[in-house]
Amino acid sequence: MALLERDPAPAAEAPDTHSVIVRARLLRRSRTIGVTLVLAAVAFALFVGTMMIGSFTVTPWEVVRATFGFESDGGINYVVRDLRLPTAATALAVGLAMGLAGIIFQRLLANPLASPDFVGVSSGASFFAVGSIVMLNFQGELVSVAALVGALVAAFLVYVLAWRDGITGYRFILIGIGVSQFFLAGSGYVLSRADLYNAREAMTWLVGAVGQAGDTELRVLLVSLAIVLPIVFVLSRQLSALELGDDTAKALGARVEPMRVALMLTAVVLIALATATAGPMAFVALIAGPIAARLVGAGGSGLLAAAFVGAIIVLTADLVAQHALPSQLPTGVITGAIGAPYLIWLLVSVNREGRGG
Amino acid sequence: MTDREIPPPVALAAADAPSRHHDLRARDLTLGYNGVDIVHSLDLDVPDGKVTVIVGANGCGKSTLLRGLVRLLKPRSGAVELDGQPLKEWNSTEIARVMGLLPQNPVAPDGITVADLVGRGRYPHQGWFRRWSAEDDAAVEIALAATHTTELAGRTLAELSGGQRQRVWIAMVLAQDTDLVLLDEPTTFLDISHQVDLLDLLDELNTEHGKTVVMVLHDLNLACRYAQHIVAMKDGHIIAQGSPTDIITAEVVQDVFGLPCQVVPDPVTGTPLVVPLGRSRAAAPTAP
Repeated sequence: MALLERDPAPAAEAPDTHSVIVRARLLRRSRTIGVTLVLAAVAFALFVGTMMIGSFTVTPWEVVRATFGFESDGGINYVVRDLRLPTAATALAVGLAMGLAGIIFQRLLANPLASPDFVGVSSGASFFAVGSIVMLNFQGELVSVAALVGALVAAFLVYVLAWRDGITGYRFILIGIGVSQFFLAGSGYVLSRADLYNAREAMTWLVGAVGQAGDTELRVLLVSLAIVLPIVFVLSRQLSALELGDDTAKALGARVEPMRVALMLTAVVLIALATATAGPMAFVALIAGPIAARLVGAGGSGLLAAAFVGAIIVLTADLVAQHALPSQLPTGVITGAIGAPYLIWLLVSVNREGRGG
Repeated sequence: MTDREIPPPVALAAADAPSRHHDLRARDLTLGYNGVDIVHSLDLDVPDGKVTVIVGANGCGKSTLLRGLVRLLKPRSGAVELDGQPLKEWNSTEIARVMGLLPQNPVAPDGITVADLVGRGRYPHQGWFRRWSAEDDAAVEIALAATHTTELAGRTLAELSGGQRQRVWIAMVLAQDTDLVLLDEPTTFLDISHQVDLLDLLDELNTEHGKTVVMVLHDLNLACRYAQHIVAMKDGHIIAQGSPTDIITAEVVQDVFGLPCQVVPDPVTGTPLVVPLGRSRAAAPTAP
């Protein structure tokens, strides 16, 4: 009787709120997807664009055909595939890897300053890579391995030193800065022991340039990107639980410690291989995530978007470094010049909000 | 027909699963941090389907006990048992479908919207490959409606007032769709009217949605008013437990908080009302 009386009302009302909430969710999702697709398109356009410009201009269609192996003209094939593709592919892959690694760290540690640049991972990779070049005469994939080991050692050190009944972003970053300084000092020591030629090589490498990449390092990076990207996609669900803090994540049933270690490992592998390929490209990992988050809007996940923003930054920086200035510069100089003012702005605004960085 | 039997809004009742019975208990439970024991071989049966409030002075171990009950702390000895089985033998996802927690200082990512945050409560109902479903949408909608936050769904958490934010966090725990809801000092940063609002909401969740509620509260008078079962702790032990009317006496308050007081009936509800004497004025009580 009572049931009969109140049945019709909700049927009219309930689907209403329901559809509003569902529509809002779908809207957010389509914005995330839309923004990500646009960023991907921009990254691809830049990727093609860098291969068009030079002393010999190539049309976009020729670039695409040559890149994917459908071009019959030997001259164009040579210019695109042999001269320009390695640099462009490096810029693309390095940017993707750094953008992704940056946002994983930032979201995991709930702090925009928590980029691998600052928490010692990049400098650990640099120290081991420079050390292996200068002191052990390593080349090719061995440098990648050394950088990977260095990044893992640095990340492990910071993790262990910062762990106290869990990880808090603030502790992790402060200890990371300390570890970072330690490895920077180490790199300085190694350089001071090197002969002039090696030291100059190592310095160029330390600034970071996509043009210096060797084929092997690039191939290692591309393969690992292909492996790590799906893993990150699967772990993104865990990441969105971990972001709510250890207590909430545990209460939601997430296995906090193994998942955090897994996510950090993927980010460390990405940053290490990217660093091994093109040097520690300053600030790319730091700025890609926040830019992507702003574009995707509140509530978007933005992992892929951050990867594409990273690629756009590195590709643009490389274009500027190679063509827009009177003399060619290493890519890292340009990313540094963009990144440093952003960092200052970030520090000022974070302090103003009283979140204490 | 009494007030209790007035049916809840139908949109909620229809979609709410009938509440299942659960049995949460601590057996000889010792908890602590960094080698120091804080809760000592404690036994507690959480009454099913009731609102239980844990009270005690600062540092008495009440939050520690709550953290132990939801496996945020591993027992140093003894065990917490859910439906007769120690928590460590449970799968953590299974526990998360039975017990939800609102921690003392929950953190949210910058710029997150209310709907997104509440949706993350669905975590234990999703899997590696099973992502968002219509069932998740329904659960979020119910949680928002039950906490009266539906109209906030599109806002970001940062824009909300303290009271609204706390409601949204509770909505996230509700979206988890658990029969037990545990809250660690949910009213701490709220002013008095928002404290009452929030406790009314939790009372509603208990009476209308059949949730078993366990929380730590600081305010003894509010605890007496909203608890059906009160647990008074001191130095890691339970001093007294039972219905507020039975156990909150001047002697117990003196013992648990070291506070000289009179206990009078609350003029509104008749539950015990603790009136502190205040140390400087205790010497000159005015007899009624």
